[in-house]
Amino acid sequence: MSTLAQSLSRGIGKVTESALAPYQSAVIRIGFSGTWLLFLLREFPHRQELYGPDAPWNWDLARQLTENNGAFTVLLWFRGRFWFEAVYVLALLASALLLLGWRTRTMSVLFMLGVLSLQNRSVFVGDGGDNVLHLMSVYLVFTRCGQVWSLDARRAARARALRARGQRLPDRAGPVLWSVLGLALAAVTAAGRLQGEWFVPALLWTVWLGQALWWAAGRRARWNQPRILFDVVGSVVHNGALLVIMAEACLIYATAGWYKIQGSRWQDGTAVYYPLHLDYFSPWPALGDLMSSSGTMVMLVTYGTVMAQVAFPFTLFNRRVKNVLLAVMMTEHAAIAVVLGLPFFSLAMITADAVFLPTPFLRRLGEGAARARARLRRHPESTALPEPRSAGDSEPARVGFPA
Amino acid sequence: MAALSLPYQVGAAAVLAVVAVVACVHLGMVFLHVAPSNTLTRQHGRAVDEWIYPEFEQNWKLFAPNPLQQNIAVQVRAEIRTSDGASRTTGWYDLSAEDGRAIDGNPLPSHTQQNELRRAFDFYGSSHDAAGRPMGLRGALAEQYLRRIVVLRLGRDHAAGPGDVLARVQVRSLITSVPPPRWSGEKVSDKPAYRQLPWWTVPAGKAAGGVR
Repeated sequence: MSTLAQSLSRGIGKVTESALAPYQSAVIRIGFSGTWLLFLLREFPHRQELYGPDAPWNWDLARQLTENNGAFTVLLWFRGRFWFEAVYVLALLASALLLLGWRTRTMSVLFMLGVLSLQNRSVFVGDGGDNVLHLMSVYLVFTRCGQVWSLDARRAARARALRARGQRLPDRAGPVLWSVLGLALAAVTAAGRLQGEWFVPALLWTVWLGQALWWAAGRRARWNQPRILFDVVGSVVHNGALLVIMAEACLIYATAGWYKIQGSRWQDGTAVYYPLHLDYFSPWPALGDLMSSSGTMVMLVTYGTVMAQVAFPFTLFNRRVKNVLLAVMMTEHAAIAVVLGLPFFSLAMITADAVFLPTPFLRRLGEGAARARARLRRHPESTALPEPRSAGDSEPARVGFPA
Repeated sequence: MAALSLPYQVGAAAVLAVVAVVACVHLGMVFLHVAPSNTLTRQHGRAVDEWIYPEFEQNWKLFAPNPLQQNIAVQVRAEIRTSDGASRTTGWYDLSAEDGRAIDGNPLPSHTQQNELRRAFDFYGSSHDAAGRPMGLRGALAEQYLRRIVVLRLGRDHAAGPGDVLARVQVRSLITSVPPPRWSGEKVSDKPAYRQLPWWTVPAGKAAGGVR
């Protein structure tokens, strides 16, 4: 009984005192925002046909559907071409800034608005990759995904160094960004343009107010207790969201795997042959023919896919098996990107996998990237990476919840 | 948390409890949403849908339970009123074959090539009953959507000459089974099956198809 109580209190201590997995949350931030950024750039020439007011799925059709299902999209606030172009460019910009980790929390909200607005505007042009990004863009808002590998982390390190010398790092961009976005949100709310269900508008207002409280608590010495409380809340919400992101990845694999088991083609070992011969998913027909030239090969890949997908959630209980399977999944998705012509879906899935990568591996990756950058710039002193605020990240990674 | 005074500790504990409950309920709802129809979803399906839709909808039956084993080609022809008042019917344009050619050798296929027409036709199929009657709002929307796509594509293929007007369009699907792998010894009919939709009138002014 007492050991149970002890481990419970240890667990509570852990999830309240720090935002866990700083490297993993940074990797998924970079991965999802990067995927969406590349997608928006790729579709830039086709943006009118996919999401524009005169697209085949035009503004009126989209409005009729969203009035019916309550999905959120800023693209239906105004009809004009200018509004559409502005939203598309802002979505691009928000993705790029989230990737860099500039004002990470605010950018994660704008990133989510971009993803939801474009996807909900034209639901019928998306695929599985869009679906992954849609969910993850919402979950990312709740995480502290800029603790490392971000401009925010660099600025925080500079602020700490200055504070040690009794100085302050002035922050002008933050309050300006907050005021402008608050005014815009208030104007849209007052004009009654906020459409869709309550969830997204409530989230926008909550984050906006939360940022004001966080800022105020950081400035007043008397507000020490509230400041610690807000920090705890931020950590708890981050850790909860990270749990949801990990469980979501498991649900994706479990659903994909368990439904396949019921299919006759996955049972008779020919399933992988068929997508390779669908006109819409065979950009390299010769490659597909080559891969399906051996029945044994197709059977092994077919069975292997089902086994890996079904097994994945359970392998999280063993660190070594998990890492092997992670490598298998990432390789398979890289192959899918090329063979089935689904690069953005694959990139989104590889990113979702990356949340399970071990911390030592990610740190080595980060150090390697920093060294490469330093070599390029010939600034050997800048190899040191900003460290996360949280203690304990030097511990060996735990299964599923690497510290 | 230890650095907090008691009232703040109580507040932190409350937040922890709320977050834990919301995360667990959310995961439970997502699980029920992706699981097959079962006892719980039959009893509480409405609550699950309330939670999931619209922003957390998801479908991970990727190539499952069985991968698609047919190539579904969407084809279209048009009735064109020429400038001298005569009317002619074009041959069939295979729009899916055009998509296929755009995807061939393309490392980054666009959603316009890979998803737009394919999913619009799926949407049309799923929002119409076996007799081809539209089911509710979605049926009506799907018909307009598909019509607008084919008009756009006919415009790009210059189906109507200068001064001509697209009066009506007709869509059909050509379904061909993927031939089974040669090692399987299975036999599948290689005869294509056609499904023809009714002629649709193109509203005046919409013949250009919007986006160019």
